Amino acid sequence: MIIIQVAGFLGCGKTTLMLKLSRNLAAGGARKVALVVNEIGEIPVDGKVIAESGMMMKDIGGGCICCEVAATFAKTLYQIYKEFSPEYVLVEPTGVAVPHQVSLAARMSGRDAKVAIGPAIVLFDATRPAELLDMDMLGQLVTTQIKDADVIAISKVDAVDMAAVKESVTKVREINPKARILNLSSFTGMGIDELTDIILNWEI
Amino acid sequence: MSNFSDESPGCYTEHGVSGYGVAAKISRSEPMTEDFVKSMAESMMLTIAGKCMELGAKCIGHIKSHLRTEAGTIKADTIGVGHGSYSSGRLEHPVRDVFIAINSIVQGIPEDAVKAATLEGMHDVAGQNGLFVVKEKEHTYFDEFDFTASKQDYIKQLSEQLDMDQDR
Repeated sequence: MIIIQVAGFLGCGKTTLMLKLSRNLAAGGARKVALVVNEIGEIPVDGKVIAESGMMMKDIGGGCICCEVAATFAKTLYQIYKEFSPEYVLVEPTGVAVPHQVSLAARMSGRDAKVAIGPAIVLFDATRPAELLDMDMLGQLVTTQIKDADVIAISKVDAVDMAAVKESVTKVREINPKARILNLSSFTGMGIDELTDIILNWEI
Repeated sequence: MSNFSDESPGCYTEHGVSGYGVAAKISRSEPMTEDFVKSMAESMMLTIAGKCMELGAKCIGHIKSHLRTEAGTIKADTIGVGHGSYSSGRLEHPVRDVFIAINSIVQGIPEDAVKAATLEGMHDVAGQNGLFVVKEKEHTYFDEFDFTASKQDYIKQLSEQLDMDQDR
């Protein structure tokens, strides 16, 4: 069971991507895919949207899986492993989660379930790079998310011009020189096949 | 699985992020079309975001909503007034009752302020559109019901859950 994070700050398009990426990865039932959605609010709006899509989904509300409800996250992964044994679990942490801490929490389930950690995909919203990176407290959080990424998807590229996309790429490249960077639009579908290929060919 | 505790403080608090959620039943005597509901929901999201900024927020994480009706579901959200709002979903026919859940995550103001902005925004926009808030309950979501139930049973389940939550 390979755990893949789809992380990134609030409002960057994680849920929309999760829906499309999970369908792509499942390939019409050829692969078993489960989803875990986490929201810090006690109202898991995103989880309900995904549940209506018919995918195998567990939502964790009331706290962040990288800290507050990390143990619940690990138990949820074990439960999914026992009940469904998917090949892939797509995890959508809260928009304020720190990816390396989510990975640590996921590894806790490895004592009871056979899990491997796949790529940490971090979305970066091309419509508001300065807003996200230039503020005191928030910039530090978004920077940490980018540093933790194996793959950075510049999201909402359909909503900005190429100069803005390049600006985002330059900013995230300065923070994380090693991550693979790609352009993503969940509305047009750009980048989703590429992300699927990255997941399928990821060396564990 | 004992290295972590579910009782540690949230990482987001140190970044000044606060959240608030509310669920409500809002109604209008005249049936509301899909376009009307979408426009109202989008306006509500922007109004809440605007009120958060007026109260001193530095950044809107998101203001999201999920509107369930007997004719289908609408979703509306915004990441800030300057970014506009977006809605999706379909209603098969006009409706009088909407079960709405709103989730506001904001940076730079405390939870009380997010709560005030969310509730004021919901009530203001509902009132401007001729709707009234029948019932509301904070930190609640309508998640104990059967999607496959008949329309009448589906709405009954939503109402019962809101009533049950009010009794807690």
